[in-house]
Amino acid sequence: MILLIILLLPLVTGLGILFLRNACTVRIVALTSTIVNLLLTFVVMGSSPAATFSVEWNNLMGISFSLGFDGISLLMLLLTNLLFPFIILAGFKREQNQISVLNFLILLTQAALIGVFLSQNAFLFYIFWELTLIPIYFILLLWGGENSRAVTLKFFIYTLAGSLFLLIGIIYIVQLTPGVHSTDFSVLNQLHIPAATQIWLFWVLFIAFAIKMPIFPFHTWQPNTYTMASTQGVMILGGVMTKMGIYGALRFLFPMVPQGVLYWQNIVLVMCLIGVVYASVIAFRQTNLKRLIAFSSMAHISLMAAALFIYNYYAAQGLLFQVLTHGLTVVALFYMVQLIQDKTKTLELPQMGGLKHAAPKMAILLLMILLVSVALPFTAGFIGEFLIIIGLAKQSIWVALFGGTTMILGAIYMLYAYQRIMLGDKNASLKNTTDLVRLDYWMLIPLIAILFILGIYPQPILNLVEVSANTMQNLLTSATGIVTAMPH
Amino acid sequence: MKELSSAIQLIPLENYIFLSVALFSIGMMGVLFRRNTIAILMCLELMFNSVNLLLTAFSAYHSDPSGQVFVFFIMIVAAAEVAVGLSIVVMMKRNVDSIDINLLNRLKW
Amino acid sequence: MVALIPYITLAWLVPAFPLVGFLITSLAKNKLKHNQAGIIASTMVALSFITSVFLFFILNSSGQDSATLTLFNWVSAGDLKIPFALLIDHLSLVMMLIITGIGALIHIYSIGYMRDDERVNSFFAQMNLFTFSMLLLVMGANYLILFIGWEGVGFCSYLLIGFWFKNPAFNYAARKAFVMNRIGDLGFILGIILLFFTFKSVSFNEVFSQAATLQSGAPILTLITLLLLVGAVGKSAQIPLFTWLPDAMAGPTPVSALIHAATMVTAGIYMIARSSILYNLAPITSNVMIILGLTTAIITAIVGLRQNDIKKVLAYSTVSQLGYMFLALGLGAYSAAIFHVTTHAFFKALLFLGAGSIIHAMGGEQDIRKMGGLRSKMPITFLTFLIATLAISGIPPFSGFFSKDLILTKAFEISPWLYALALGGALITCFYMFRLFYLVFFGNQRLSSAHPHESPRVMTVPLMVLSVLSLFGGFLNIPALFGGDSGFENFLHKAVTSKESGEISSATEVGLIIVSLSLLGIIIVLAYRTYVKKSTVPAADGAPSSLIARIVANKFYLDEIFAALIEKPFGRLSDFLFKSVEVKVLDSAVDGVGTLTSRLGSLVRRLQQGNISFYLFAMVAGILLFIIFILFV
Repeated sequence: MILLIILLLPLVTGLGILFLRNACTVRIVALTSTIVNLLLTFVVMGSSPAATFSVEWNNLMGISFSLGFDGISLLMLLLTNLLFPFIILAGFKREQNQISVLNFLILLTQAALIGVFLSQNAFLFYIFWELTLIPIYFILLLWGGENSRAVTLKFFIYTLAGSLFLLIGIIYIVQLTPGVHSTDFSVLNQLHIPAATQIWLFWVLFIAFAIKMPIFPFHTWQPNTYTMASTQGVMILGGVMTKMGIYGALRFLFPMVPQGVLYWQNIVLVMCLIGVVYASVIAFRQTNLKRLIAFSSMAHISLMAAALFIYNYYAAQGLLFQVLTHGLTVVALFYMVQLIQDKTKTLELPQMGGLKHAAPKMAILLLMILLVSVALPFTAGFIGEFLIIIGLAKQSIWVALFGGTTMILGAIYMLYAYQRIMLGDKNASLKNTTDLVRLDYWMLIPLIAILFILGIYPQPILNLVEVSANTMQNLLTSATGIVTAMPH
Repeated sequence: MKELSSAIQLIPLENYIFLSVALFSIGMMGVLFRRNTIAILMCLELMFNSVNLLLTAFSAYHSDPSGQVFVFFIMIVAAAEVAVGLSIVVMMKRNVDSIDINLLNRLKW
Repeated sequence: MVALIPYITLAWLVPAFPLVGFLITSLAKNKLKHNQAGIIASTMVALSFITSVFLFFILNSSGQDSATLTLFNWVSAGDLKIPFALLIDHLSLVMMLIITGIGALIHIYSIGYMRDDERVNSFFAQMNLFTFSMLLLVMGANYLILFIGWEGVGFCSYLLIGFWFKNPAFNYAARKAFVMNRIGDLGFILGIILLFFTFKSVSFNEVFSQAATLQSGAPILTLITLLLLVGAVGKSAQIPLFTWLPDAMAGPTPVSALIHAATMVTAGIYMIARSSILYNLAPITSNVMIILGLTTAIITAIVGLRQNDIKKVLAYSTVSQLGYMFLALGLGAYSAAIFHVTTHAFFKALLFLGAGSIIHAMGGEQDIRKMGGLRSKMPITFLTFLIATLAISGIPPFSGFFSKDLILTKAFEISPWLYALALGGALITCFYMFRLFYLVFFGNQRLSSAHPHESPRVMTVPLMVLSVLSLFGGFLNIPALFGGDSGFENFLHKAVTSKESGEISSATEVGLIIVSLSLLGIIIVLAYRTYVKKSTVPAADGAPSSLIARIVANKFYLDEIFAALIEKPFGRLSDFLFKSVEVKVLDSAVDGVGTLTSRLGSLVRRLQQGNISFYLFAMVAGILLFIIFILFV
């Protein structure tokens, strides 16, 4: 029941908000709702995994409205509910049109995302998966920056096209179920799809997730969308929605088409590694701060995707840890970008400089966030990337070497950005610039604190996902024996 | 109910099928070749009803009530459709002073 | 005999003091007045030093070889278990004493040196953070904790090199240092991961006890040691990753003394000495280290000959001395390397602090061509600088003589050629150090605008303490030849396994010392004749000079080669990938799908004539076709 409350609370509050007039009330109500949701998430984390909710919905097609969780979905739920208070908070004291509609859409996105992560039924999953697109489309379109129409349309169609493949895949798998068809994950996971089928079915399912993450070469929607999007939009997109791809792959590819995964593993891995190096190299010469961060985010996601498809124990742990870290970092980083834009009135790096003189505290906090991003030890970024690189090295030292280049390249472009923004001589145009205000501290300090505490004491999160990581790995190893016997 | 279905079964099933095929074809021809919008709507209704007839007959012969349930659905949908359709015709008459279906040709590339 | 266990728990205090100092000075940055930050920071490091000394005596009297203190469980994922543990043994204690002892002196010195800087509180916060990281590096009981410290010092070095962040060149230097270190770090972390796969542990104790059972020259060990060496090469500024260190002189002088001379750059040497068991089993890596160390030592010494910035000269000499340490490591003389680390920390810190004192006196001027005649104006600096110069040149009884001689003797044991090359490097070092010394302190003052004066007491006292250490530091390890007992080496032997090497007779040893000393004497006289008698002043930057001189002065154009081979192509690749691949190929392909769809649409839309009857007809025809298809096909 508590799962249903977590799912519906944002939706109900969001609808209620539409009737509120006062901008301040709208924001506070929205914030309260997300905080309550976060607290409920902690309650769920304390309860047993049996706390599921299930109603028959459409018997004919075997669709049930069933919510439940395991370690992975709990982590995703935590990520979503941890980030949304900050995402709402990021809009405080800011000039925005249609505040109540905006907050409604944000809360609707939250509800849809929670639905994605809690669904125990493929059809329900798909409904929520598509539902996330609708509010984010409007957030990007109506509150986005320059050229938002064209960019958003591309984003929308691109991801929608990917989802279409997913739908086809789901339908195909469902009609393979014996007896009365069922779309519950528990049934689908038990299916032993013939190996030959798995090999092509893998791509049908994979495309949707590859576009969402995004994996090279399906990423071209991402840089433009990030660059154009409003701060809150890009926080949702980069912080949570990209993780949907990873989650989807974990939910569908590994349990349903494990042999397909094994068959294509090397090719997908190469795509991911190309993505790591490719995005890092491109980020090196970007002059637009948001675009730079977009490519850096892509590099990180590609590394996570590599860990996803290499799938051994360390990589899985590192991946899931990094999912949380990356979400938190992206939110903090884009809030910083917003502040920088407010203060310098530009996003072009060559035009910046010397902000540290006017805003020394901001410089320190920015540097701390960048340290997480370049995976310095004692930050959460290090734990995740270290475990991932161990996992990659288990496959091959070369894979680890390519994956590890983010350590070097990330340091190059992130410190370059820091130098361009903060360092250098005093800038006359920044004479009246002020340092951080109280709201900024409320926003940034908790995020940074979590990132550093997780770096020093990562065990709670590692424990949370341990069992699920184990189960998933066993699935794959059990498939290994069959696939090697198969003619290539 | 029992008597009704046994009464229906007095007539062989083929006759129902022939009748509804005939009704359906008449309706279809009307829809295809008439230009009067109201006539087209009426032909549509004719097609609906031929299907309804068939459903009822099959339902009785199979003694499965779900066919009749569908009939009710269809009737409701048809009623709604007629309401919308007729209002479109009224609007058409008001705007272009004609109910020739070929005047509705703006929905094209 | 004292039981070690109850006292070992105090070990966490050693890194904790500087951490507390960092927290205080950084959080209360805007409230601390005047010298307060400096005093707090120095006190904290001094407290660490006292604790280290205490631990030193405890360890000595306990008779135990090492003790581990586990604080908490840091990462535990499957069979990867990394406790946050500190290791106290002879090696880490030596390093702790160097870091906290010299660190404390440099902190005190900085109170005077940085007095007028507006960001002095930040400076001390960062210095304390550095000390904390460095202590973690040497005290960690496994490779991962070492790596935390390793990255931490790299980051602090980044901060402190770019301390005066108004200057873009300084910021660039800071970034360069960090990135070059990171290149090494990638190798290092891969080495650690391979270690983990090989030994199922990254803790020193377990790795070494298991490694002892492995066969010498096992390929996996060679690979691991080479990867670890990559990390050490980055951190300890060896060829080809050394160009960051001269640039790192952009930082304040105490930073150069602490980080880029005494402590951080020796982290690589520490790490390899720590892994001596692994390196003993990897002869290929040892040979690589010999070649790397010797090449670095000689090449950078040659470059040092033509440098005119006082700190750059010292920086090149640091790289060169680090090369000697690598040579010693390659020779398997790990304790000799650590001994050289120790004496080098004494005299190089002294040289840098002396240079700082000079720069302070000259009002920020760093060009030795503009100095001169400072002997009478700054007597204490002059005297201490002289001691340090003699020490680095290897003149007995100064500390540098003992450590350098130890390495040279070991080199002779392997091959006389090795000895000759190493001695050649030492002679060049001697020449450029005396060139620097004579140009700065002798002759006439060449810059009329400056009014040099002796530095305040807070700066000269650390100089004096360090000069005492530079003078007598060598007596820690008097070789048997002079009736000593090689105390330092024996002390370290409990933690570091040096390779056995052939003995050479004491007659040969004496002969070698006589040869090297007479050559050194000639060099000093030569330098005296050139720079004092003839008062030669190196030519100005733009002056025409021979090709070789230009090559040397431009450090063999290594930076330019780097730029041409790596930076530029990298930038071009980045532009190419973005402008051509990303925009023109990938994105166009996606847009192409869209365009294709709309083109197809415009073809097919001809069918949409708008005639409802036609639509209906098409629909019915379609359905009929469909039915026919189902029924008859």
